[in-house]
Amino acid sequence: MPNYKLIYFNVRGRAELSRLILSCANVPFEDYRIEHSDWPAIKQDMPFKQIPVLQVDGVNLLAQSNTIARYLARQHQLAGQNEWEQSQADMFIDCVYDLHAGMRPVAREKDPEKQQEIFDKVNEEMIQPHAKKIEEILIKNGSGFLVGNALTWADIAYYAYFTTPMMDHLGGQVLESHPHLKKLIQHVGDIPTIKKYIETRPVTSR
Amino acid sequence: MLIETFYRQIGSEIVTNKSFKFSMPVYKLHYFNNPRRGRAELSRLIFSQAGVQFEDVRFSHSEWPNIKPTTPFSQVPILEVDGQVLAQSNAIARYLARKYGLAGKDEWEQAQTDMYIENIHDLLNAAAVPFMEKDPAKQKELYQKFMTDTIASHVVAVEKQLKKNNTGYLVGKQLTAADLAYYAFFSDFIEVKFGGAFLKDAPLLKSLIDRVKALPNIKKWTEFRDSKYPEEN
Repeated sequence: MPNYKLIYFNVRGRAELSRLILSCANVPFEDYRIEHSDWPAIKQDMPFKQIPVLQVDGVNLLAQSNTIARYLARQHQLAGQNEWEQSQADMFIDCVYDLHAGMRPVAREKDPEKQQEIFDKVNEEMIQPHAKKIEEILIKNGSGFLVGNALTWADIAYYAYFTTPMMDHLGGQVLESHPHLKKLIQHVGDIPTIKKYIETRPVTSR
Repeated sequence: MLIETFYRQIGSEIVTNKSFKFSMPVYKLHYFNNPRRGRAELSRLIFSQAGVQFEDVRFSHSEWPNIKPTTPFSQVPILEVDGQVLAQSNAIARYLARKYGLAGKDEWEQAQTDMYIENIHDLLNAAAVPFMEKDPAKQKELYQKFMTDTIASHVVAVEKQLKKNNTGYLVGKQLTAADLAYYAFFSDFIEVKFGGAFLKDAPLLKSLIDRVKALPNIKKWTEFRDSKYPEEN
């Protein structure tokens, strides 16, 4: 088994999907969380001055959160069972990436009332229309999963998106009109290896 | 391999795989006609470099409201492959790159290729901010900021990686979609917006861009593209 060191801040953020993939697959890894005060020094060693970065076998560095997650998913049979399925999973990952980007104006707003207002707008304009399409895809696919008939990192990515602290706080009802998606999210959270990780991971604000 | 083994393999594939086809898949890539390169260009370059035929469907913004509901996520580009649809520009590019030998020779190189494609994706997203600005003076200001804050430091980082890899390519020893992605993004900048001054301290990156541009299949594509779809104002 390769030696994995995942370097990121002590938040879920852009590393959480990789942490969930590794946990799901029961693969040991060093969950290296840095303080913001450490960042300026570490930054210089990062290939593109960003984190997360995955260090493999103490030598090779891989940057870009989705690239890291994809590499780990592929190494540990969570990426889809053939090239087409892998691409479908990639497509869903890119959708989730766009969803996260859509939440940034919400995260930036510090006033609680305004934040809820901005969230409600993002929910109506972006999250609900997208969730509706995902619901239709899940129904059509018929397996309970987004891609093929088995769990992939695409399912885990939607789980991570719909269970952030911010989503829990502001968007408690977002999945009420989408029972298949809601069930999928529940299912991912109940996977024993994922459940164990969730119960023991550091509690962070985001 | 032995002839019998060959036919046995094909036979079992026909029996087990309903979508087995003897011929090249039929590809249709759908995108706006403006921007004429945009988020579809990397896939077009991959098709061209690989010598794979594709239908380059371009539609106007006035047609978009009718087309939008037919797409999986109300966005383009989308790729039709024998009638099945794939959305998301990077997923499409990655699928094609892997299929046609432009994604690196092993899993690690494939990951490196992905990493560079995602770097470009970040740059494209950041460039979208000034791109969308309507006021010309404000737009100029935003582009300047983008060049100094985002592009300059990224060029330094990539030059360092090119030096480290020391093959003239971003990944491994041969051309990958990573090189095509950097060519697509930076050539657009050079040719359409800014000129090449920002590459003056990045000889390896500049050399890579020039080398990709001169590849026979890429040259053929860009000449065809530029004559068929002249640059709009």
